[in-house]
Amino acid sequence: MSARWRLSTLALAAALLAGGAEAHHSFAVFFSADKDVIPLTGTVTEFHFTNPHGIIKIIVQGNGKADQDWSIETNSPSILMRRGWTKDIIKVGEVIKVQGWPARDGSNYMRLRDAARADGTPIGTKPAGTP
Amino acid sequence: MRAFRTLALAAALAALPALALAAAPTKDGHPDLSGFWDLDARVPRDAPLMKKVSPNTAVLDDTGPTEFPRGEYGGLKLKPAAKAAADAWNPQDDLTVAKVCQPPSIIYAMQGPFPIRIDQGRDIVVIRLQYYDMVRIVFTDGRGHLPASAPHTKVGDSIGHWEGDTLVVDTDHLEPSTITNNGLDHSESVHVVERFRLSPDGRTLLSTQEFEDPQTLDNRGARFIAWRKQDGQFLEPYDCDPSFALNYGAKK
Repeated sequence: MSARWRLSTLALAAALLAGGAEAHHSFAVFFSADKDVIPLTGTVTEFHFTNPHGIIKIIVQGNGKADQDWSIETNSPSILMRRGWTKDIIKVGEVIKVQGWPARDGSNYMRLRDAARADGTPIGTKPAGTP
Repeated sequence: MRAFRTLALAAALAALPALALAAAPTKDGHPDLSGFWDLDARVPRDAPLMKKVSPNTAVLDDTGPTEFPRGEYGGLKLKPAAKAAADAWNPQDDLTVAKVCQPPSIIYAMQGPFPIRIDQGRDIVVIRLQYYDMVRIVFTDGRGHLPASAPHTKVGDSIGHWEGDTLVVDTDHLEPSTITNNGLDHSESVHVVERFRLSPDGRTLLSTQEFEDPQTLDNRGARFIAWRKQDGQFLEPYDCDPSFALNYGAKK
């Protein structure tokens, strides 16, 4: 398997899990589909539910180190609405758990794969075929 | 025996309405493509449509959520200037407040993982895309294309005609825009031919999109695109918010 083909396949797999919806910028260019998804738990400070992508901002407790601000980019809200999301589905101040693909530039920015409440209840429904 | 045959005939007749309901709808003597259609990248390529794809054409495998990484163009043969521009492309340049809400042309937009709505009349077919709230009007009244001096837009100028069960849409007057969302742009001279037909049960809209752009490519490109019909659904507004670019460090 060539490196190019493998990269393409990984990008495809990640895009499918993410439900696709590259509204404008390329997932493959900005996010690391060839790295593992990372989990984060944090307190929501902002939630923007607008196209081309939604943004969830959270503070992750540092546990003895400095707290970290993270921005999580969602799929297009046009598509998330068909999975039960609304502009009020996430509240400022609540604790959420997210998993996603980290930005290639190493910043505290990720592309959302899935999100859940603090008790593990999924936020919205996952795309078909997602485990 | 006669009673058995009568019963069998009655059963067959009773099944006819169900068969009729399962058949593709028609309007004005043509298949009726009207409805809400959600893109489904898992639909196998339609053999009759794929046979119509011209020789020397790269069929791109990036319909729906799939995207090519930087430097991959799915078999498209780029002219040297197009290759140089793609190599020099800085994706960050697209993520500015001024640019992030600019729609792509229909070449990239039609294959995106968003629904479309079609309303078919006798002389026009309206194709609305949820993606960037784009609206296409395809004239099927026999008119020709706009004069060369007419403006180019992201939806272009589309005229259509029927070939049997297939709506053939011919589009030009497109503004330069991305082909594969990774630095490769078509020119304003690009010419697109799309073919649309329904599956036998009318629940799947099958299409090919074929484009040629001698200023940019040494061969042609094509995509197979399909949508599933969903009743009782409506397009959501896209209402792109340019402040999204600020998350990528864009200057206000």
